Amino acid sequence: MKEKPIHSELTFQLMIESTPNAIVLINKEGKIAYVNKPSEQLFGYDRTELIGQLIEILIPPRFHQNHPRFRDMFFSSPSVRSMGAGRDLYALRKDGSEFPVEIGLNPLVTTEGTLVLASIIDITERKKAEERFKLVVESAPNAMILVNQDGIITLVNAQTERLFGFQKKELIGNRLEMLIPNRFKEKHPDHRESYFQAPSTRPMGAGRELFGLRKDKKEVQIEIGLNPITTDEGQMVLASIIDITERKVQESIRAKVKEMENRNQELEQFAYIASHDLQEPLRTISNFITVIKEDCMDQLDSEALGYLNTIGRATDRMVILVKALLEYSRLGVGRQVAEVDCEQLVATVVSDLNNLIKETGTQIEIGSLPIVKGYDVELRQLFQNLITNAIKFRKKNQLAQVRVMCKVTESAYEFSIVDNGIGISKKNFDRVFYIFQRLNPANTYEGHGIGLAYCKKIVELHNGRIWIESEERQGTTFNFTIPKITHD
Amino acid sequence: MTKKLNCIMLVDDNPDDNFFHQRVIKRNKSADHVVVCQSAQEAIDYLKNQELDGWIKPDMIFLDINMPGMSGWEFLEVYEDLILSDKNHVIVVMLTTSENPDDIQKADGISHVASYHAKPLSKELLDELISKHFKD
Repeated sequence: MKEKPIHSELTFQLMIESTPNAIVLINKEGKIAYVNKPSEQLFGYDRTELIGQLIEILIPPRFHQNHPRFRDMFFSSPSVRSMGAGRDLYALRKDGSEFPVEIGLNPLVTTEGTLVLASIIDITERKKAEERFKLVVESAPNAMILVNQDGIITLVNAQTERLFGFQKKELIGNRLEMLIPNRFKEKHPDHRESYFQAPSTRPMGAGRELFGLRKDKKEVQIEIGLNPITTDEGQMVLASIIDITERKVQESIRAKVKEMENRNQELEQFAYIASHDLQEPLRTISNFITVIKEDCMDQLDSEALGYLNTIGRATDRMVILVKALLEYSRLGVGRQVAEVDCEQLVATVVSDLNNLIKETGTQIEIGSLPIVKGYDVELRQLFQNLITNAIKFRKKNQLAQVRVMCKVTESAYEFSIVDNGIGISKKNFDRVFYIFQRLNPANTYEGHGIGLAYCKKIVELHNGRIWIESEERQGTTFNFTIPKITHD
Repeated sequence: MTKKLNCIMLVDDNPDDNFFHQRVIKRNKSADHVVVCQSAQEAIDYLKNQELDGWIKPDMIFLDINMPGMSGWEFLEVYEDLILSDKNHVIVVMLTTSENPDDIQKADGISHVASYHAKPLSKELLDELISKHFKD
């Protein structure tokens, strides 16, 4: 009889001592009846310091008030409680430091009454890993959502709040389908189930177009990457989500730009071919006028020669127009940006126009002009066209006065060419920049009508803009801007 | 008065231009013979068949660019490998409607092209070219 109890006790002690977990045996009064070696190590006490003490010695003070009641509840209906069940638990070391724990409880019926065997694991490291995981999810630059097998959202980050417009507390604990547009909502649980049957990493952008539903009921186009995650609570999936609405807009814009570039190339080719094919018959007319003059001179009267000359002039004019068309389409092609001293450039233009200026008695005043980044050949054409126009479209009874000025703004140079000429009616402000438009009969003011179209294109090549200020009979100001930084 | 060449070849698909250029050459007494080819291929065929009776070697070739089928550029590729006696003394001149800077630049880069000019061929141009390339 007495032999047997000693044997059983020894066996029990050996079992408890050999287990790697901390084991604490507690009696009904809440006193520690026994601790094993790992417990001493875990809590920093010698076992003689613990035996006979209330269990609360191992619990942080802030939990002392409730713990006896929990203990009484447990003893009134003892049952096995598994590790990790319920709320976060903390333990207290001898040195006063706390640490997170998981505790499994087992009732133990003995001749001395019911005891509780508590198995305790320090989960500090696991807690840290968990915190690190949450931190990574929270700090991700895109929306992250952790979903369990039932489709319940268990974790979201700040970017998710931003993307969908919900607060975290509105999302956690709810079904993922709340973020899916109605037309996809019905099928999603099936997709989720089939995913969980064979979880695998699914990269961003794989598969069909996907949409999310915001709190304000607007839809966003999204890309989703899926990663299976195995947790103590079962299989989960971490969804990484990017709003690609903006990217779709950008793609659309790029496609449009590409299309416009193609059209511009086509237009240039068209202009070149048109120019070439149109010039051939014109040259034939011109050549055969020469043949007639040379071979039939003695048979023609002066009237007939006059007719031939008229035909010749018309043909020559057409050649000029056709070549101007080609040059217009080639503006900017193959050019390189250079530093252009506008004051020097305008001085050169004025020098080139010296004859015209003298004939007409024009007075030209050049203000302070900057150095800009641009295409020097084209900028010279620009100034030459505008200054020439200012001289040409002068009043009959008044000498032309032309001023070339520049005003500097934060982002651009704003040039002005001011004249005292015949002016332009407001209704024609846009029309003058159309190719081949002329506002005045050729007899009064000669021109081919493409010069201002040149000017507009040259300014736009520099990412600037050109506009008119004018009133009829009160002169005209042509303004244009050249940005300080040119992007090519 | 500039030297009179034995033969000038015109390579152009435009018969009106060929007529006019042929006439300019004759009136200016620039050559005894004018060979007219209305396509680049016809010109190549002519230059290859040197054994034919009455074949005349051209001293100068005026070459258009834009022609149906083989273009002026393609002619030049074939011409480069052509066997032609005293080839170094044959002057090839581009004569074309195009004033496309790209074409001018392209011609400039071809060693057996002497120069590039816009149509029409004129007395002044003929005299200039013969003076430059055919001194005696």
